[in-house]
Amino acid sequence: MKQNNEPHLIAALGICKRFHVGSSTLKILENIDLRLHRGEFVAIMGPSGSGKTTLLHILGCLERPSSGSYRLNGVDIIAASDDDLSHIRANKIGFIFQTFNLLPGLTVYENIEAPFLYRSCEHLQIKEKIMDSIAQVGLGERVKHKPSELSGGEMQRVAIARAICADPLLVLADEPTGNLDSGTGLEILKIFKKLHAGGAAIVMVTHDRNVASVADRIIYLKDGRRVDEASASKQQAV
Amino acid sequence: MKHLRVNSRLFKFVQLAVKSLLQHKLRAALSILGVVCGVAAVFSMLSVGEGAKRESLAQIERLGTRNIYVKAVPLTEMQQAKFRANLSRGLSLTDAHRIQKGCPDVQDAAGLRELKASVFSTMKEVTPLIAACTPNYATLMKIPIGSGRFISDPDMQESKLVCVIGHGVAGSMGALGRIGNYLRIEDSLFKIVGVLQRLESKVGKSGAIRLRNYNDMIFVPLAVANLASSTGTPYGALADPEVTELIIAVNDEKQVLRAVPAVKRIMEIAHGGAEDYQIIVPQELLNQSKKIQRTFNVVLGSIAFISLIVGGIGIMNIMLATVSERTKEIGIRRAFGATCTDIILQFLAESTLLTFTGGIIGILIGFGGVWLISAIAKWNTTVTMLALVVPLLTSIVVGLFFGLYPAYTAAKMDPIAALRSE
Ligand SMILES: Nc1ncnc2c1ncn2[C@@H]1O[C@H](COP(=O)(O)OP(=O)(O)OP(=O)(O)O)[C@@H](O)[C@H]1O
Ligand SMILES: [Mg+2]
Repeated sequence: MKQNNEPHLIAALGICKRFHVGSSTLKILENIDLRLHRGEFVAIMGPSGSGKTTLLHILGCLERPSSGSYRLNGVDIIAASDDDLSHIRANKIGFIFQTFNLLPGLTVYENIEAPFLYRSCEHLQIKEKIMDSIAQVGLGERVKHKPSELSGGEMQRVAIARAICADPLLVLADEPTGNLDSGTGLEILKIFKKLHAGGAAIVMVTHDRNVASVADRIIYLKDGRRVDEASASKQQAV
Repeated sequence: MKHLRVNSRLFKFVQLAVKSLLQHKLRAALSILGVVCGVAAVFSMLSVGEGAKRESLAQIERLGTRNIYVKAVPLTEMQQAKFRANLSRGLSLTDAHRIQKGCPDVQDAAGLRELKASVFSTMKEVTPLIAACTPNYATLMKIPIGSGRFISDPDMQESKLVCVIGHGVAGSMGALGRIGNYLRIEDSLFKIVGVLQRLESKVGKSGAIRLRNYNDMIFVPLAVANLASSTGTPYGALADPEVTELIIAVNDEKQVLRAVPAVKRIMEIAHGGAEDYQIIVPQELLNQSKKIQRTFNVVLGSIAFISLIVGGIGIMNIMLATVSERTKEIGIRRAFGATCTDIILQFLAESTLLTFTGGIIGILIGFGGVWLISAIAKWNTTVTMLALVVPLLTSIVVGLFFGLYPAYTAAKMDPIAALRSE
C-alpha cells in the first residue's frame, strides 16, 4: 500500500449507502462529503437513525458505500480488495463500538491481545504495549478479569484500550460515553484528549454536546445527509 | 524468515483453537467420540491383522518354501481294501525315490513316520513324540543340532538302534539324557547319539501340516521304525519302510510350482490313482495366506473408512453449531482485521485439533485394546509404524476435510451482519 503525501487522512466524496429491504430501497446515507486532516478530532452528531454508525462503518472500511469515492491515507478504499481492507482495519484503524463488542470468553488482557494476531507489523513488545494501554485506561487491576465481571464503563475502557493499543492512525468511536454516567464519561473523554494530543485522528459519534465540544470540529447528520448546525439544533429542539 | 513467521502464525492459531476448545470441554470430548472409536478400531485391527499375518507367514516359512509335502491320509478299512485292489501299498520311502528319479527339479527327499510308542526312562513332564526319519530330515527342516550328531546314513543302512533327542527331552532326563546313554523305547534300547538345540517352541497347524515342537521329540532311524513302534511288526528292520510324511526339497524356491504337477503325476501313477496321500505346498499356502490378508485389508479399510466418515460428520455437525453460535465473535475478529483466510484457519485449526486429539486418544485406547486381545485371546498382535501413522494421518485429514465447509461458512459471513447478530 503506497502512501502518498495527500494532506487529508480521510477524503470521502459523495458517499451514499442504500439498503434493499424487499422491493423498497432505504437511503441511509446520501451524498456525504467528509475530509479529515491527519491528527484531527471530529465529532459527529445527529438524531438516532440518522446514519452515524453506518457512516462510521464505511469510514472504518467495515462496509463499502453503495456509491461515492473514499480515500484513506492515500489508498483508494473503493478499489481495494477485501483482504486489503482487512489489513487496513488491523493496522491503521482502531474501532470502538457502540456496544463494546468484547469477546466474552477472553480476559481483559486477551481481548486487547486478540487483534495482534491479524496485525502485520512486528510488535516486539506486544506485552508491554498491552499493559501500557491497560494502565492508560486505568484498568491495571483488572487484567485477568472476564468482561462479565466488569461494569459498563470498564468494558468501554477495555474496548478503548483494544482500539488504541497498536497506535492507529485513525480512531473511530461510536458513542463511547453513551452508556455511561457523566463522571465516567469525563474520564473516558480524558483518554480521548490524551490520544488526540498524541497525534491520532479521531472521529467520534456522540449525542452529548459537551462531549462533542472537545473535538476540533462537529459534523451534523440528519436523515443521512450532512446539515449545518442551525438546522441540526432545530431538529434537536423538537 | 518469512517461513518462520508463517509457522509462528500457525502456532498462534493452534493456541487459539486450544483455548476455545477448552471453553467447551465436554462438548469437545463428546464430538470426538466417533473419531476416537474409528481410530481405535483401525489401529487395533491393523495390529491384530499384522500379528496374524506374521504368525501365519512364520509358520509357513518354518515348513520351508522350497519344500513340497506328501502326506499319508489315514484310511478307513473299506478305503484300504479298495486301494489295495488298485495296487497301492500306502505311502513309503519308495515314493520318495520315484519322485527324485522322475523329477529333475527335486534335489532331495526325506521321509518321516510318527510312531506310537512308550518311552521308558525317568522322564517327567514331557511325553515325547517319537518320529522315525531318514538322515536328511534334519537338513531339509533346518533342525539345528546342539551336541553330537543327527541320524547318519550308516545308522540307516545298518539299522542301528540310535536316537537323537530334543532339548526338552534331554533336560527332563537329567544326567541320563546325555550322549552315550541309552533310552528304552518299547522293548529296545536306543543309544543317544545327539541332542538338538533348544528351539523357540512354536507349535501350531499350518494348513494340513502340523508344526512339531522339536524340543519334545525323539528321532530314530526310519529303518528301525518297527522296533520302536507299539503297532508295527515287532521284529526286524524293513527294506521299504512305510512313512506318514515325505518332504521333497526342490532345487530352488522358484521351481516349486513347476515341480508340483510332476510330483502329482508320479504319485498318481505309483499309487494307481488311489487317493491315500495328500500333496501340500507351503508356497501355495503362502500365496493363499497373502490373498486372505489382502481381502482382510480391504474389508478392514472399508470399515475404517466408514467409521472415520461417521466421526467426521460428527465433527462437521459440531463445527457448524460452533460457527453459528460464534457469529458475533467472527464479526468482531473481522472488524479487527481478520481476513477470510484467518477465519478459515481459525476454525480449521479447531476441527483438526479436535480430530487429531481424537486420533491420539483412539491410538491410546487401541493400544489398550491390542493389549487386552493378546492377553485374553492369546492372539499374536504386532504394532507397526503403519498402524500408528495411518489412523493419525487419517484423523488429521478428516478434521481438515470436514472442517472445511463450516470454516468456509464462517469466513463468508458479512462482518457487519455478524456484528449486529446477538
Ligand atoms: N443492514 C441494514 N439493513 C437495513 N437497514 C439498515 C441496515 N443497517 C442500518 N440500517 C438502517 O439505517 C439507519 C441508520 O442506522 P445507524 O445505525 O447508522 O443509525 P445511528 O445514527 O447510528 O443511530 P443511533 O444513534 O440510534 O445509533 C437505521 O434506520 C437502520 O434501521
Ligand atoms: Mg449508532
